[in-house]
Amino acid sequence: MKRTRPAVSSIRKAWTLTQTFETLLVDLLPRMRRFAYGLTGASADADDLCQMAIERALARRDQWQPGTRLDSWIYKIMRNLFIDEIRATRRRRETFVPDEAGLAIGAEGGQEATVELAMIDRAMLRLPDEQREAVLLVMVEGCSYKEAAKIVGCPVGTLNSRLVRGRDALMDLLEDAA
Amino acid sequence: MTVTPEMIAAFADGELGADERRRVEAAIAADPELAAQLERHRRLKGLLAARYAPIAAEPVPDRLLTLIAQSAHAETGSGEVVSMAQARARRSLAPMVRRWLPVAGPALAASLVLAIWQPWQSAQPSGYADSALATVLESRLVAEQPTNADPRILLSFQARDGSVCRAWRSTADGGIACRDGMGWKVTRRFAGSPEADREYRQAGSDADILAVAQEMAKDGAMDAQAERSARAAGWLNLR
Repeated sequence: MKRTRPAVSSIRKAWTLTQTFETLLVDLLPRMRRFAYGLTGASADADDLCQMAIERALARRDQWQPGTRLDSWIYKIMRNLFIDEIRATRRRRETFVPDEAGLAIGAEGGQEATVELAMIDRAMLRLPDEQREAVLLVMVEGCSYKEAAKIVGCPVGTLNSRLVRGRDALMDLLEDAA
Repeated sequence: MTVTPEMIAAFADGELGADERRRVEAAIAADPELAAQLERHRRLKGLLAARYAPIAAEPVPDRLLTLIAQSAHAETGSGEVVSMAQARARRSLAPMVRRWLPVAGPALAASLVLAIWQPWQSAQPSGYADSALATVLESRLVAEQPTNADPRILLSFQARDGSVCRAWRSTADGGIACRDGMGWKVTRRFAGSPEADREYRQAGSDADILAVAQEMAKDGAMDAQAERSARAAGWLNLR
């Protein structure tokens, strides 16, 4: 029976050629969910946001330059979607309250841990959106100030001052509560 | 030199250059008030990590994985502009994925998340699986393994010489082992590349392993029942 031998190398090559866009995207999913949860504070909205971001990323894949950071590109898509879609929908529904259902996420510890997590969620949701995203990008996602500013689309100085204000507010909120 | 709160924050975020960093370090060592400021930053960062890290560790919902998998398997774009490279990749990859997906699908979707972490490099000289790996290969069915299994069995198949082989992935390596009278002979091993930049992992490692498996296989991958029978037969030559 005739078999074609070079299949493996050609498959490998093809994967490399496309920068394996899909696998890189799969690779990013855990971080996307983390960022989405931080932005929305609610697990249902977070996964909706991830879904929208995946759809947009796949539709606009040609706009991503292979060799540049896919994570930054995705974060940018996500924060834009959050502002345009999620936040707008919430305003219309007028139900922008901390989502208690979302607090179950990641809460595996005892009562004490759950309370602490809920406290952090509430404190984060009290921040203005632009301060919350700055805190998330730098302190949770580990972006540099420059990367974060590029994702948000603002000067580094602006990003820095949002970060400082957001961080100070969080420290006050969390330390007062503790 | 005066050290501002902004500098302490930038220090905590790793944003300072070497010179500034050394100066801030010295100032912090000399001033308990500055040290306390830094401690506040670190505590907040720790709180945030404790809050958000578990979310990244959760299993990703199937619907998100499916969304991406559908795109990876689509042979033609839906009216979008597809580059030559993408078109070629889709043409060459799709048949393999289609052929293996019915059996390997669930494992593939899950293992993509677990496993595409590192580029895979050279095949090493063959030997036999060590006892930890051999135990897993000998005992665990694809259908039985926990979602976070490490090593994880990707699939089992019968090679053209009749022997039963199994493809596995762990965080450290992966490959294909075939059972013979002595144990699990590792016919292909893909080792992780330690110097790889974690930000830019690119190789499709599971695809690489599956591609080799496809080359070796007589037919397709075993289904759950065939795998169970093979285990009952001690994984030895079915011919």
